[in-house]
Amino acid sequence: MAERRKFKKRYCKYCEQKVDFIDYKDLASLKFSLSERFKIMPRRLTGNCKRHQELVTVAIKRARQTALIPYIVDRKNVVENPFELIK
Amino acid sequence: MNTYETLFVIKPTLTEEEIRTQITKVKEVLSKEGGQLLGIDEMGMRKLAYPVQKNDRGYYTVLFYKAEGKLISELERNLRINEDIIKFLTVKYTNTKELKQFNKLVEAANKAAPAQESTTKETEATEESKTAEA
Repeated sequence: MAERRKFKKRYCKYCEQKVDFIDYKDLASLKFSLSERFKIMPRRLTGNCKRHQELVTVAIKRARQTALIPYIVDRKNVVENPFELIK
Repeated sequence: MNTYETLFVIKPTLTEEEIRTQITKVKEVLSKEGGQLLGIDEMGMRKLAYPVQKNDRGYYTVLFYKAEGKLISELERNLRINEDIIKFLTVKYTNTKELKQFNKLVEAANKAAPAQESTTKETEATEESKTAEA
């Protein structure tokens, strides 16, 4: 619930900055739409608009393919410093 | 002619020189097939988010180029054969918005290229600058 409160205000941050394209190599721009465990955050929590959510999703999936961000973080597959990547 | 971007990851076990030769190998394939290289962004040695073929780190390189669609299959075939390359990804830039961003990326890469070599850590930096001079 704490996470839900964090995203209470609903507006698209990418629209605000007038982002036209999200680069999969630019981890700083992806960070906002990732959870602590590197899951893609749903639109209802982040407030992203549909267009930008689609852009972000593609970018995150590409970043995963190229081992820039992990697919999963669990007990077997611990990232030593989970916030080092998305700080 | 389409605009493409290819990212590939080289094994961390190779020496600096061997990495150089691997990059030039890929570039040769590009020029041989009639590709037009616009810029190179070397992201350097990075930690991988998950182990790939038992490697924990990898040397990231990004090539920006213009080429015919046929080139991609040939380039990817070469990347696939090469055992020193553990990962690669090709992205096509189509519409005007993407192309605008693409040009920005190329510019950034070209600007960063000389600066990057001086900032990379320790021995890597000295070796890199040597190769640059030569």
